[in-house]
Amino acid sequence: MLDALMAAFQWLMDAGPTVMLPVIITVIGVIFRLKITKAFKAGLTLGIGFAGIRLILDYMTSNIGPAAQAMVKNIGIELDVLDVGWGAIAAVTWSSPIIAILVAAILITNVVMLILKVTNTLDVDIWNYHHMAIVGIMVHYTTGNALLGIAASVVMAATTFKIADWSQPMIEKFFGIPGVTLPTVSATSSLLIAWPLNWLLDKIPGINKIHFSLKDAQKKLGFFGDQMIMGLLLGSIIGLLAGYNIQEVLQLGVSMSAVLVLIPKMASMFMEGLMPISEAAQKWSQRVFKDRQLFIGLDAAVVVGNQDVITTALIIIPLTIFLAVVLPGNRMLPFADLAVIPFRVALVVALTRGNLFKNIIIGLFTTAALLYAGSITAPELTSIAQGVGIDIAVVGTALFISSFAATSLTHSFLVYLAFTMNLFISIPIMLIVIGACWYYFEVIKPRRGDFYDADRQEVSVQSDNLEI
Amino acid sequence: MKRVLVACGNGIATSTVVASKIREYAEEKGIALQTDQCKLMEVPGKASSYDLVVTTGTFGGDVDTPVVRAISLLTGIGQEDTLQEIITKLEQ
Repeated sequence: MLDALMAAFQWLMDAGPTVMLPVIITVIGVIFRLKITKAFKAGLTLGIGFAGIRLILDYMTSNIGPAAQAMVKNIGIELDVLDVGWGAIAAVTWSSPIIAILVAAILITNVVMLILKVTNTLDVDIWNYHHMAIVGIMVHYTTGNALLGIAASVVMAATTFKIADWSQPMIEKFFGIPGVTLPTVSATSSLLIAWPLNWLLDKIPGINKIHFSLKDAQKKLGFFGDQMIMGLLLGSIIGLLAGYNIQEVLQLGVSMSAVLVLIPKMASMFMEGLMPISEAAQKWSQRVFKDRQLFIGLDAAVVVGNQDVITTALIIIPLTIFLAVVLPGNRMLPFADLAVIPFRVALVVALTRGNLFKNIIIGLFTTAALLYAGSITAPELTSIAQGVGIDIAVVGTALFISSFAATSLTHSFLVYLAFTMNLFISIPIMLIVIGACWYYFEVIKPRRGDFYDADRQEVSVQSDNLEI
Repeated sequence: MKRVLVACGNGIATSTVVASKIREYAEEKGIALQTDQCKLMEVPGKASSYDLVVTTGTFGGDVDTPVVRAISLLTGIGQEDTLQEIITKLEQ
């Protein structure tokens, strides 16, 4: 019986993600008591999304791959790790054979932590589980041990929920959104660098007095923040650096503009397909915890519209390209994820309460960390992508893919390292660091009464409203 | 046919959830509407060709089109009120 099941599963995996996703999602949907027709349509939507991502990535690498190569020959900048964007990486994550187990593990971690009352964050934003799941997939790939992979995702989940708890006062006070936390790793990860760095900057005489603001930056630079313009510009610049003629430069510019506009459209198919399941999970969990006042975990997309965040992001975007060129040892060519820089800086902005000077300083450090971690983990990520049928080989080169998500994120990178080094040394260190942070945020900080924690509010949500 | 622009941080994640909830609700009420999604940054450029802008977060921009904040459609708390507000604004 078990053999037959394993054989069936293997057969399904061999058929590839476009077949596997609809089947797996239909089964998960039925478990969450969706109607089978609705579950199947959701699954098929995911399969279509994956097919779309594969098409676009193929188009992207066959255009920009040779250009990146020519750029190396022409001016000697060796950036052979292509940033294909979080959407593509999320698609790879959702296509992993162990994704169902990891998602279950993350959900169970949340429920158990809620029952034990060690977190107040109810995170049923299933879509964003991909940030926590990819760490498990990477660990599984590197160590060959599925249990370690699951453990890595559980650690990611537990720490993310805690960071979400600890940053809740910022969400309420700075962004004015009560009752909500943001367990979105792509946004919270920056805090790992921002918290200590912000503290340090505040201690330096002179630096802690600098304040300046750019009121009109958004109006002037907003045009360049548009995905299609950014793609056109970046594509054209890469073409120029590659020594292409004007016709080829323009062709590359428009192709890259197309890529930046199309990848998110495909990624949104994933989102759409997962929505019915996410909703079912939300209804279920809110029923179970209806007597508790909880923070609802949301996608960080709800705060990136803030003016200070956009202004900071518009300044960090060109600086990211600059850093990529000048940082020794960086191999990542920033591209698709320049569009989501607002997510990477949103909580930094909240932490500094909109101090633009500090935002830029901290932003430079968090970006450098992203570039390095993205370069280091690119080979593993590339192999995993190839494993689910995304072929990025450009004839005659070794091109790697990466992004500003997955293990490029400082938080994810550290957990990945902890699980792939000498476990007897790295796991105790990791646990001590987590314990120390926990002690600081839950014992020391509330006593001191910082700006944001001064009157840590009760959740304004009434429990009887929780049932939809 | 009413046109609603749904905006969030990246024009993908939360706006997909909100847009489909609005469409479902409108369908129940028998109102014909079309939703488009975009990034918050793009709202000032696009808003004028829509009847209503719905955002999933804080939006500080300045547009002439009425704007509804719809974070409740994500948390599920106060969802019905927000949906009603959207319909009311559309019918004006």
